Amino acid sequence: MSLSPLTWIRERVPVGPEQLRELTNEPVPNHLKKWWWCLGGTPAYLFVVQIVTGILLAFYYKPSPQTAYESVRYITEEASFGWFLRGLHKWAATMMVAAVVLHQMRIFFTGAYRKPRELNWLVGMCLLLLTLIVGFTGYSLVYEQLSYWGATVGANITDSVPVVGVYLKELLLGGEVYNENTLSRFFILHAAVLPVTMAALIALHVTLIRLQGVTEFHFRDEDRKKPAFFNFFPDHLLTELSIGLVLMVLLSVLATVLPAEMGPKADPLSTPEVIKPEWFFYVAFRWLKLFSGTLAVLSMGLIVFLMYAWPFIDARIRRSRPESEASVWIGVAGALAIIALTVWEASVAH
Amino acid sequence: MHTPERPPQPQPPPEGHDSGNPPDRRSFLARASSMGMIAGLGASYGTAGLYAARYLYPSKPRDKAWMFVARIADVAVGGSLRYTTPGGEKVALARQGSAGTVEDFVALSSTCPHLGCQVHWESQNQRFFCPCHNGAFDKSGKGISGPPGDAGQSLPRYPLRVEGGLLYIEVPTESLEVADASAPREGHDPCLDGGAPL
Ligand code: HEM
Ligand code: FES
Repeated sequence: MSLSPLTWIRERVPVGPEQLRELTNEPVPNHLKKWWWCLGGTPAYLFVVQIVTGILLAFYYKPSPQTAYESVRYITEEASFGWFLRGLHKWAATMMVAAVVLHQMRIFFTGAYRKPRELNWLVGMCLLLLTLIVGFTGYSLVYEQLSYWGATVGANITDSVPVVGVYLKELLLGGEVYNENTLSRFFILHAAVLPVTMAALIALHVTLIRLQGVTEFHFRDEDRKKPAFFNFFPDHLLTELSIGLVLMVLLSVLATVLPAEMGPKADPLSTPEVIKPEWFFYVAFRWLKLFSGTLAVLSMGLIVFLMYAWPFIDARIRRSRPESEASVWIGVAGALAIIALTVWEASVAH
Repeated sequence: MHTPERPPQPQPPPEGHDSGNPPDRRSFLARASSMGMIAGLGASYGTAGLYAARYLYPSKPRDKAWMFVARIADVAVGGSLRYTTPGGEKVALARQGSAGTVEDFVALSSTCPHLGCQVHWESQNQRFFCPCHNGAFDKSGKGISGPPGDAGQSLPRYPLRVEGGLLYIEVPTESLEVADASAPREGHDPCLDGGAPL
């Protein structure tokens, strides 16, 4: 009997190219041939980069106050290509935040969150917050001065939440103040709890996109006679793969030219004179300096709530004034405010 | 491709087949047993969830103890001294009165009441300064600018006690400096200062 391995597998797993095409023949609107419509695929790709490089870093990383800093130094200075993997992880984290924000802006300004896609906007908001929190917990793992004070300030922010805050803070730190248990909590959140939650939400996000289809747009310069759609498989997959290639080249260059470095080791007894979080928290950091504790935290909570509720607020505005351009103006104002606060924080020491 | 034949699916019994039990008694039993099932699942998984939450929540508060600071006769009225807790936290202690009681003294913590950074004394500005969000406090620990000033927060005070002319302070005993204490700190030669607390 001559049985090729392929036939052997096909008899047991009855899936072939036809079924694969059937499963993935999602029609994709033509404008997704341009990369700026594909910004959602970018964070998804970077997420996979983070999982792979993160698992590699975890082989040497030791989450305790006595060992963390030394183990990151070992990865950076002694392990072969440790500096490269750490650089990839760090730069992909930065780019992931940037990609999520750009993706969200594209959704916002094209109104792609409108009915029936409100639920996916909520899922996307969760993914935005989780990306920021994963970045925050990751930054704390290095156990340098800024990691330590960033973690302390972050935990105390949860403490300013009325009623439940004090419990949240102790749950996060594993005690009243930063202590022996804190780093391992941050590590398990960073490397297990949050990524698994994100993977589940990304799956839900993509499922909803498949069920609803990508929003179609009609452009004036479009040829009406040509088909408005192309196939996901293999055409769109190829677009995504070439974006992946560009990202990998970009990440490698960044990790080599601007490698991840190490600041002075954490000293719980003295806060450095100049203290800054990662750039994507500059907005929140400046906000905290502008208002007293509880006011700053409650107003940030309100802004996040309004962002979640945006599709419903927008629907209400459009019901009473269908021609309203309010969403564009609100979006522009929000983006300018974020840029202004970030630049302000970046340009001064205090 | 060969599709194996599936065995016929069992059919639901026709209505009223289960003779003896009138239909509404049966549906009552069915409902009661689903309720029981839901309650049981909720109770068992809920209990396990509560246990897990309790497991994650830290069980003990920080250890504290009363420590001797100084003989009150040795601290001049208007004078101050630096005290370092066993955990290494800096305490600014000052004597403001001459009654010889505990009311004469204040002991300020260096932990900012805003979001927990460490303040330091700036002698040129006569104030405590917190670098995290530009909080500033006057000599007595009252917030004068930045978020702590806006919210009217002051530097926390440690409890003090006077007994037999001796001054005691209640402080946490665990070390904050969880990092390897035997390693010399950067830019700090242990031979020169004999390891004295800064
Ligand atoms: C899901 C997206 C993720 C993001 C956005 C992210 C972000 C970060 C950031 C910003 C750092 C600090 C980098 C530095 O200063 O070197 C970091 C460190 C680290 N991350 Fe992640 N991470 C992610 C996923 C993961 C996963 C899945 C793992 C492990 C399974 C992991 C393991 C680590 C380890 C061990 C470190 C500390 C070592 C180091 O700093 O080089 N990360 N991460
Ligand atoms: S922690 Fe001191 S001002 Fe914010």
